[in-house]
Amino acid sequence: MKKKKAAALIIAGVVFLVLLLASSWYSVTFNESRLVVPINLSEYTFRMKDLPMICSVSLFCLYIIYLSVLLIKAILKNKMGENSMKYTRNLNPKLGYLGFLGFAGFLGFWTYHLNQNFSAFVFFLFFGFFGFYYEGRMSNTLMDERYKENRLKATVKSYQISTAIIFLALIILGQGRAMISLDFTLIAFVVVVTLALALQLFLSQYLLYRYDHSEPSEESEESEE
Amino acid sequence: MPDFECRLKKFRQMKDMTQEQLAAQVGVRRETIMRLEKAQYNPSLKLAIDISRAVDAPIEEIFIFE
Repeated sequence: MKKKKAAALIIAGVVFLVLLLASSWYSVTFNESRLVVPINLSEYTFRMKDLPMICSVSLFCLYIIYLSVLLIKAILKNKMGENSMKYTRNLNPKLGYLGFLGFAGFLGFWTYHLNQNFSAFVFFLFFGFFGFYYEGRMSNTLMDERYKENRLKATVKSYQISTAIIFLALIILGQGRAMISLDFTLIAFVVVVTLALALQLFLSQYLLYRYDHSEPSEESEESEE
Repeated sequence: MPDFECRLKKFRQMKDMTQEQLAAQVGVRRETIMRLEKAQYNPSLKLAIDISRAVDAPIEEIFIFE
């Protein structure tokens, strides 16, 4: 995206947000907070004083929709660019250390104990970032047909393993007898699913690296050249 | 493991090419050529044709399937 377009988008966002805040203030001050506090839409009747709020909300919604469309277009464009790429992306293997963020998932035990909130278990997903280490070690590699074949093999294998784990967890935890309460069953399921997804992220990179490097007699040919 | 004999090394040496040069010519990595020569990798038809053109030898003489 060009700098001018990005600046215009940011300015438009700020303007629409200011309009929204101003119309909210107007509604709270002069219009009995209509359309600011929740209302029953089936009993709604239009008043001229509602117009600023309706306009600003509509503009803001259109802006969000436009941003979403831009985001989807950018993702699709990146995907298409990926297909035409000849070399793997350049990545520092040290990014693999981000995998240690996965230990934040253990916070879930604490937050559950504190206020029955177990969303922190989802942080276990970060364990998948350990895969960046292997991706980094394969930075700037020519993606020839053997690489693509290995990548496909690694992806399929990693999906097979993670799907098998989720499937088993579904069967075992679905019985409802394995845990003391429904809460614990749900927690166990969330933990298993996030760990399985993290494993999938990691394995797809690790297996690709292993398939590409660990086949026997790699270096013996060097001396002959 | 693919079940075939590969005589690529012989034809490559006859053309006085290194693995690196052949790899660059057919658009793959040197490691891929190395595995091909050891019959540890089964190439696609396109790669087989590219290699046969690069070393000036018929495909059926480079890759021998039993």
